[in-house]
Amino acid sequence: MKVQELSGGVYEIKGGRKKQIATRNLVPGNIVYGERTIEDESVEYRVWNPRRSKLGAMAIRKFQMPFSKDSRVLYLGAASGTTVSHVSDMVPEGVVYAVEFAPTTMRQLLRLCDVRKNIVPLLADASRPVSYAHVVEPVDVIFQDVAQPNQAEIAVDNARQYLKKGGNLLLSIKARSVDSTAVPEKIFKEQLKILSAAQGIKLKILKKQNLSPFHIDHMGIVAQRIG
Amino acid sequence: MDTWFGEVEISDEGEIEKCNLSSRDPKELAERIHQIQKKGTAFRAGIELREIAFQCGFVDNDSEYLSLLQEACVEAARQSIKESYTPDLPIIHAVGVIDDIDEAVNLLAERLSVWYGDHFPELGLKTSDLASFVESKGLRNDMSPDDSFYVLTENSMGCPMGEKEGLILKAFAGDILALYERRSSLEQYIRDNMEDVAANLCHLAGPLLGARLISMAGSLKKLASLPSSTIQVMGANNALFKHLRSKAPSPKHGIIFNHPLVKGSSPRNRGKIARALAAKISLAARIDAFSGEFRPFLKDELEKKVASIESRQEKKRKGVGK
Repeated sequence: MKVQELSGGVYEIKGGRKKQIATRNLVPGNIVYGERTIEDESVEYRVWNPRRSKLGAMAIRKFQMPFSKDSRVLYLGAASGTTVSHVSDMVPEGVVYAVEFAPTTMRQLLRLCDVRKNIVPLLADASRPVSYAHVVEPVDVIFQDVAQPNQAEIAVDNARQYLKKGGNLLLSIKARSVDSTAVPEKIFKEQLKILSAAQGIKLKILKKQNLSPFHIDHMGIVAQRIG
Repeated sequence: MDTWFGEVEISDEGEIEKCNLSSRDPKELAERIHQIQKKGTAFRAGIELREIAFQCGFVDNDSEYLSLLQEACVEAARQSIKESYTPDLPIIHAVGVIDDIDEAVNLLAERLSVWYGDHFPELGLKTSDLASFVESKGLRNDMSPDDSFYVLTENSMGCPMGEKEGLILKAFAGDILALYERRSSLEQYIRDNMEDVAANLCHLAGPLLGARLISMAGSLKKLASLPSSTIQVMGANNALFKHLRSKAPSPKHGIIFNHPLVKGSSPRNRGKIARALAAKISLAARIDAFSGEFRPFLKDELEKKVASIESRQEKKRKGVGK
């Protein structure tokens, strides 16, 4: 088995039948959602399933992961923390501000926060960025996976207020949340337009790709803030 | 400006003019975060809070800043979760349990009927009747000659069954019966408690339908924020999406079909009555969610409206007859 770093704390594990990616476990010996672990040269890696994580699907599709050891990340739509745990792996000396709206899933996320001290949980509404202004500082990366009809607007609002210049916005767009009957490609186009035509912020789309077959009718987008 | 670590005043040039720091006790900080969130005081987002915390002398380094912030935010989130439980929650869970029981009990009752049918195919009982029969009477041989079903046992084409199997079937039937009983006790629970949770909705739609509407919407607040056209077709998802995708007709009613006023109406009026009912339901839900006052006249208004819809139809028919 050979482990090789792809980008920003994502490792590719070679050998075996299929290609796998993993992140370096921040808390060795502790697993989060029943994922497999692999040890290589006495370092523990947690295997990242792209079917359970949009960010994981983006990573396996060779999206450049803009994380570094001490990145500050704003994570919108943290849910129960499956993907958050991998982001937390990628920024061991940084911080993940994890915003989640639903109390039930937040309960699970809090259990994760007990073990992983670089996750700051926020029970708040991502469509009202100002509601966490007393806690969140400007960040290097925003990742968003919220499945709301106005997901592009939410991303723009948050990026405008919290994303540093030169920072990256990683975004998963779910076509079915915008309109369950329209053609996904058309929706993706409209959503991309909202991103590039946003007021008060300039976003440059670096890469966009459909995330099928890992996630149906989802598009992964990376954009950089240039103004 | 309220930050998580204290009140700070910053001039237009970005100079810190005043900082009123909070104590460094995580519990107090959590309370502070929680209160600011509840108040919702808005200020400009995306300020270099960490820098300000250093300059004000709240903390000395990054790791101190983060560990205090993390601990406080976890505690604040715990507080918010604690306050997020609403009185409609047990009703929603009760509806969920009823649905789960229905699904499970159908499966189990079907299995009992197949197995016991091997032994006594002439019986012809189903579901809860069968379960209570097996539970109380057991196998064919155990029945007394004065039992009304005894005639059927004579010359049965079922296979003989031993004592061991008899015991299993009896116990199994008892389990199924217990589920049926649990279901009706949950229904009773909803009937008894809907009035406290949503008096107007309960009065207008009936406790069980009202509870189901709340559970489908997710909460009473969410139901109150839905347009009545959505309430009208809630539970008719397949028909609705068929309508939106192709040229199929729009559904007239979803779950509210179970209301006696809709169910008992003639097919020609059904759409109109469903629409009127949905409108009143959304009014009732809004009153329950936001004021809580009981207004029984909503139901009278609805009944008047339904009567006028029906009489209009009546007149029209007479007109055609002339």
